[in-house]
Amino acid sequence: MYIERILCNMSCMINNEKFTDEEIVEKVRSVDQEFYVVIMERYQDKLLRYAANITRDEDMAVDVLQESFIKAFISLKSFDVKKKFSSWIYRIVHNEAMNSVKKYSKEIPLPDNVDFRSDEDLEDDFKQKETAAKVSKCLGKIPLLYSESLALYFIEEKSYEEISDILQIPMGTVAIRINRAKILMRNICQKN
Amino acid sequence: MSKELKNITGAVMGKIHHGEIKMRSRLYYILGSVLAMSGLAASIIVALFFVSLTKFMLRAHGPMGSFRLEQLISSFPWWAPIFAIFSLVIGLWLLRKHEFAYKRQPWMIIVGFVVTILIVGLIIDMAGLDEIWLRHGPMKGFMRSYFD
Repeated sequence: MYIERILCNMSCMINNEKFTDEEIVEKVRSVDQEFYVVIMERYQDKLLRYAANITRDEDMAVDVLQESFIKAFISLKSFDVKKKFSSWIYRIVHNEAMNSVKKYSKEIPLPDNVDFRSDEDLEDDFKQKETAAKVSKCLGKIPLLYSESLALYFIEEKSYEEISDILQIPMGTVAIRINRAKILMRNICQKN
Repeated sequence: MSKELKNITGAVMGKIHHGEIKMRSRLYYILGSVLAMSGLAASIIVALFFVSLTKFMLRAHGPMGSFRLEQLISSFPWWAPIFAIFSLVIGLWLLRKHEFAYKRQPWMIIVGFVVTILIVGLIIDMAGLDEIWLRHGPMKGFMRSYFD
């Protein structure tokens, strides 16, 4: 029985690469719950990184990820397969991570002397791929309100629309937060 | 870290195999929607009767409105708004607890409900449907005692 499961898991992984997340979810719901392994394998690295960026603690991030996978499985039937699974699962991790952060508050306050006004075109300075590494290093120094949007945009490579879905904020607010995060990066991280 | 990730997958699948975690039935989400909708419907009915009664009092008694308001408060069927609030709160709680991953702003839900209640209440009142409901609806007894 156990060996069969392992073999199934392996074949599931190989045969299911061509399926979308939403199709896999449908399989988990109506064919076999074993397919949930495929979902976890696809997302665990990305989600762990995302959770770690929010919690700033790897052990806590691991707990957040496990709890998120459990909650996602329990609520899987509430997922609308016409929508994007990735935004849905990121939202669950966001909720879990925020709960943990609130529990063991580690929030970094916003410095008093930051001026968010800027006439410069920040896009020139912050090309997505080049900046990802810098962003990773700097995230811990920026308040969570801004660092989360920045991580989703530069590291997780999510669009403004996806970030809006994950954080449940309007797209305009996403743009403002990312812009402010860039200014904060310049003011705080590049000085140090 | 990859060892920890394997542990996560193993732990979650173990819980699934042992039946410790199960997918919540669709019924849960349907129940949440039904309760929220029935709460909304109850709110509409309450608003409708409230608007209707207020209009009647102002027309029939003019300056004695404050006295009539006391009468209205003492004889108002308070179970109806309590039921409306209870259904709305439980329904929305269920929806928010188990459909937590979709973008829905709580304030928008509340504002949407309030606006819907007001608009539907006014439309029903203007269309004269309330007159029919007063004679045949569930609050017929209360209305009769009030008019008597």
